[in-house]
Amino acid sequence: MSAYLVSVLSEGAIFGIMALGLNVIWGWSGDFDLAYYGYIAVGAYMTLVLTIGPAVAPAHYILGLTLPYPVAVVVAVITAMAVGLVVGSIALRHLRGIYFSIVTLGAVYVMYVLAGQYVPLFDGYNGLSGLFDPMGDWFGFDYLSYQYFFLGLSLVLFALVFLFMWRISGSRFGMALRTLREDERAAAAFGRDIYRLKLKGYVLGAGLGGFAGALFAAYLSAFNPSAWSPVEVIVLYSAVLVGGRGNIWGVALGVLIMGVLVQESTRFLPMVPGLGQLSTLHPQVLLAMRGVIIGLVLVLFLRFRPQGLLPERRYVDPQPSLYIAPQTA
Amino acid sequence: MSAPATTPALEVRGLTKHFGGVYAVDGCSFEAPQGIVTGLIGPNGAGKSTAIDLISGFKLPDSGTVLFKGRALEGLPPHLISRLGLIRTFQSPREWPGLTVLENVVMARWDAGREGFLRGVVGLGRAQRDKSEDELARAREILDEFGLVTLRNERAGNLSGGQKRLVEFARIRMAQPQLVILDEPMGGVNPVLGERMALAIEGFIASGTSVIVVEHNLPFIERVTEHVIVMAQGAVIAEGPFEILRSNQDVIDAYLGEMVKQ
Repeated sequence: MSAYLVSVLSEGAIFGIMALGLNVIWGWSGDFDLAYYGYIAVGAYMTLVLTIGPAVAPAHYILGLTLPYPVAVVVAVITAMAVGLVVGSIALRHLRGIYFSIVTLGAVYVMYVLAGQYVPLFDGYNGLSGLFDPMGDWFGFDYLSYQYFFLGLSLVLFALVFLFMWRISGSRFGMALRTLREDERAAAAFGRDIYRLKLKGYVLGAGLGGFAGALFAAYLSAFNPSAWSPVEVIVLYSAVLVGGRGNIWGVALGVLIMGVLVQESTRFLPMVPGLGQLSTLHPQVLLAMRGVIIGLVLVLFLRFRPQGLLPERRYVDPQPSLYIAPQTA
Repeated sequence: MSAPATTPALEVRGLTKHFGGVYAVDGCSFEAPQGIVTGLIGPNGAGKSTAIDLISGFKLPDSGTVLFKGRALEGLPPHLISRLGLIRTFQSPREWPGLTVLENVVMARWDAGREGFLRGVVGLGRAQRDKSEDELARAREILDEFGLVTLRNERAGNLSGGQKRLVEFARIRMAQPQLVILDEPMGGVNPVLGERMALAIEGFIASGTSVIVVEHNLPFIERVTEHVIVMAQGAVIAEGPFEILRSNQDVIDAYLGEMVKQ
């Protein structure tokens, strides 16, 4: 397996966790959350400040500890959940639809500007770096074998998160979240505490975002404002939409298509005959092409297959003749 | 037939709600007896729907009290009122459109402790599974009763308006509240289905659910209710059996008008 493929698949597994978290908030609970990438960033930043050691002037950042990576991941997830709790408790109390989205957009820009401009927090625009091959020295991996180790780790963690989401998806909790998405007044009329239930789902999603962010920090070994921007969440939304909102298999497929195939395909555009000069036009042209392709796919799906490739599956009751009363004509 | 002299299923005292200068509900007081169907009628703008919203916690009253099972409900959020055993429906059917008919019915029963997030992950126990099986069986039974069992795997959003009303009734059967408030259940329902709904309402009473029904369809009110409350301009202007109300001059002036003269 080439190093390139190893790297792409590791990233894909991390995207998968991100998308599964977003699926809780948007797929099940039904809220178009624009702050989601903020939780990923909180997870990544927190992991870094907890592992890379004290800041050396002129760098500034909080904490600067050298905790073992797994401990840092746990703390990062808890922090992301705490931030999610704050944002969610404000945005979910009375606001729905576009109003909810606008508040979460505001929240994520506050996070973005704080991270980018308030230097003592995460060293402002320079960001953080220095998390090299976490846990690698525990097992004595060299550079190359570590890449395989990290791929394996990412895939196993993705599989665990997937299993976890699979359990939730079919549970009463998962069903209750869907009743909120479908009609929350009816859900309240039948005993559901809308606000608490939505908040639970939101914090769960934020925690998964933080978890993916913690892995992302290890994958990138660094994190700074140029590595993320709030609009990155569109790639995740496109993955959930294309795959099938609410269906975890669909989300996984969507990540494979949008997060891996489309994301990487632009890299190969210059190899297409006639497009060889593309990257010489402007250094940003390939990045822009990525955005164009994702946007185009989004529009096409919204128009022709809004339920996604694998629509949310409903419980299909088997038809034992026992239950079918004779139909009186 | 007069209302039996037991503790009322619901007692409303001096309920008031204004929106700006408009008093939608203005000192509304009534009692709905236990174990029978009470009709709530009145012209558009009489404050019936607002009164339901105030009783069920979807709106906060400016003043007044609502007593249910000896407990004051005002100020409680809708889900707590529902958990106490008072469930309301809405003017337009509010099914969960993306869920199947069967899921709509199963999820109508809120169960403390089973909807927790951790239960979702670790709830593998046999007791849990059996309980789910019981619930499914009960839901199938109810759907059969409403003639919906063949539609149980259909998404509720695909049903016709009348079928959605039946799903709503099936959900109430599943939830088994002590009191249900039906907000215009006959809206857009054909007469044949109307008869089925009248029977369903009798079924509610038989299963121990008292009923308050808001309706403009007066033959239906006459058919299903034993006691009728007439509201106009936010307050109760008359109450009693429908036969007596139809000769009450205030009721005729406020609401019945032309219909009675025919």
